[in-house]
Amino acid sequence: MQDDVVIRVVAKVMIPAVMLFALYVQFHGDYGPGGGFQAGVIFASAFVLNAVVFGLNKGRHVWPAHYNLMGICGGVLIYGFTGVAGMAFGENFLSFNVLADDPIAGQHLGILLVEFGVGLTVAAVMVMLFFTFAGRLSHNRLLSKSDAHERRLAPKSSPSKEVTK
Amino acid sequence: MSCLAAALLALGVGFILAITRATLGPTPFDRVLAVNTVGTLAVLAISVYGFFDGRPAFLDIALLYALINFIGTIAILKYFRFGTLGDHALPNSDEDGA
Repeated sequence: MQDDVVIRVVAKVMIPAVMLFALYVQFHGDYGPGGGFQAGVIFASAFVLNAVVFGLNKGRHVWPAHYNLMGICGGVLIYGFTGVAGMAFGENFLSFNVLADDPIAGQHLGILLVEFGVGLTVAAVMVMLFFTFAGRLSHNRLLSKSDAHERRLAPKSSPSKEVTK
Repeated sequence: MSCLAAALLALGVGFILAITRATLGPTPFDRVLAVNTVGTLAVLAISVYGFFDGRPAFLDIALLYALINFIGTIAILKYFRFGTLGDHALPNSDEDGA
């Protein structure tokens, strides 16, 4: 699919835009529509687009397998430690008022950290799900290999064959 | 308010036409194009509603819908063409290697 000039160029333009939009949704979520879960899904969709257009190997090169564990566990740990930090200052679990001098600033800091943890975990889970399902060597794919090879040898095959595919 | 009704009515006519094509479409590519058009019309509907409701935050949602719509269309087309979302290169064809 990376042989296709239009898709390649448009994907290269769009991937950073999608990532930037994900960061906007993540950190502007206090004031507009958004939040950690949505931002994580949008951020993962940039990697999905990369893997769809440039192939799964190059997608895995950008997002290696050990990023999954780091992202998933790191996000949960950020969430948990933010909650425990409130307990360390003598308040309840997940009470953010004591995280800064000002209770308002403490709330801002706390929800920012918690949402960052959520976004990290969701992004890692979504990328892992896509790579797992797309990397599966299914029976259909093994069957379709010969078909795809024939089609590559004879690109001007009849359109009805494409339909049945 | 009648302006909002007229705009949404026009978009609804577009929806009906696109969904008709998605239902009748003889080839999968007609259906993909129709679904893509429905997504574009949804972007327009969200924008129109946000404009008339005075909530510019809806533009964020419309922008996101447009981005995801593009990614979904590319993924569907790749699945139609190659039968998989993963590596489509053949083992003996090029360096991308399965």
